[in-house]
Amino acid sequence: MISRSSEVRRARPLLGTFVEIAVEGWCADSAHCAIDAAFAAVEEVQRRMSFHDPASTLSRLNREAAHRAVPVDTWTFAVLRAAARVHRVSRGIFDVTVAPHLQRLGFLPGEQAAAGRETSAASFADVDLLPERRVRFRRPDVCIDLGGIAKGFAVDRAVATLRAAGVRHGLVNAGGDLRVFGDEQAVAVRHPENAGATLHRLRLANAALATSAHYFAGRWQPEQALAAIVDPRTGQQCTQVRSATVRASSTMLADALSKVVMLQAEAALPVLNHFRADAIFVSAGGEQKSSPHWRAAF
Amino acid sequence: MSDWKTFALPAALVLSTSAPCFANVYLTADQAQKLIFPGASGTPWAGKLTEAQKKAIEKASDLRIRKDPQIWQVSGGGWFIVDEVLGKHEYITFAVGLTAGGAVKQIEIMEYRESYGSEVRGDKWRAQFVGKTAKDPLRLDQDVKNISGATLSSRHVTEGVRRACALYDIALK
Repeated sequence: MISRSSEVRRARPLLGTFVEIAVEGWCADSAHCAIDAAFAAVEEVQRRMSFHDPASTLSRLNREAAHRAVPVDTWTFAVLRAAARVHRVSRGIFDVTVAPHLQRLGFLPGEQAAAGRETSAASFADVDLLPERRVRFRRPDVCIDLGGIAKGFAVDRAVATLRAAGVRHGLVNAGGDLRVFGDEQAVAVRHPENAGATLHRLRLANAALATSAHYFAGRWQPEQALAAIVDPRTGQQCTQVRSATVRASSTMLADALSKVVMLQAEAALPVLNHFRADAIFVSAGGEQKSSPHWRAAF
Repeated sequence: MSDWKTFALPAALVLSTSAPCFANVYLTADQAQKLIFPGASGTPWAGKLTEAQKKAIEKASDLRIRKDPQIWQVSGGGWFIVDEVLGKHEYITFAVGLTAGGAVKQIEIMEYRESYGSEVRGDKWRAQFVGKTAKDPLRLDQDVKNISGATLSSRHVTEGVRRACALYDIALK
């Protein structure tokens, strides 16, 4: 592998999806080295924030934080703080305490699903983020799933790792949540009605993009394609939007805000504006809408 | 709210082909082996899976063996296995490195291919990919390598890795 290549691109199965990392303009050996380190960062995010891994920081939080204030690592705390911000600005539309709903619907494993328990009344307002990175739940039925935000954070960590290694041009894509840095790159957004077709094409430079949509995710069925996104207020799956793509300053934000657009459609605009983000979405009826500054943003 | 604009792409871009595809070739077997086992060399495994072993592997992993995986023994200990998995819309070749004790050391995707429009699993479905390389125009959007869309599950690869571990237990240990 001494050959020089304009681009080195690799993929690994991580975070339940495929994480792709591309480095441009480096010799292959250095590029592979930087990519290895970036994958390691994504693995570390998975180790800390996986709902499925009983040894993760998140699982420990879900087990213990109702009984005592649990100290967590800087990354997990940063994600929880961001989740708190989006929760506040979206007036509760984005809420990482939807895990019991997702368990009930079978998108996440857990005893709540087995018990056939009704919708949980707990919300992120019942989560206290305390000094010294400690977290405490105010109710015993709080259960957090970071599936709607941690993937974006993992992309941001991978990009930070690449940049720290000196990489100037590259891309990290975790199942559609992606970030481009350095030179512009072309990105295609999938069409929700035909996963092999393009809904939108754009060129991105130093920007993050995340898409949520009603296909592939969860228990995909041709007639009833429902994504693992529920309205925290009702426990119902969102149905008015088929696909939402958000451009934001970080992949973590884009990831979280794509859920807000999925649930609120046009009404998500003030939230997008607050975070200086843009979006396109496809409604259940097939209408394609873009936020006011979408085109100017690229 | 009324500030949202309706947009549409030219019809030609939205639905360009009858069987849209997306494919990326990431690594050759040689490259993957050097990444997973730096500085080591691989010798093709001299053995061959018997029918009884295949049945046992399929039973242990709950996954069929459609094609014999390629197996190398790595200098300094460990195994390097190249295998493939087939999903409803995807066909993935992956490499997995196992330590001498059979633990998963590293997984790398070598080739990833997606196809829609034809949902026939198996040989016919796969035939459209045969002989294609990274340079072939087998893409969702001709020159676009980067796709933002809903999450594709990596479940099939996870199952394939479990099959590789079963293979180690039954045939290599």
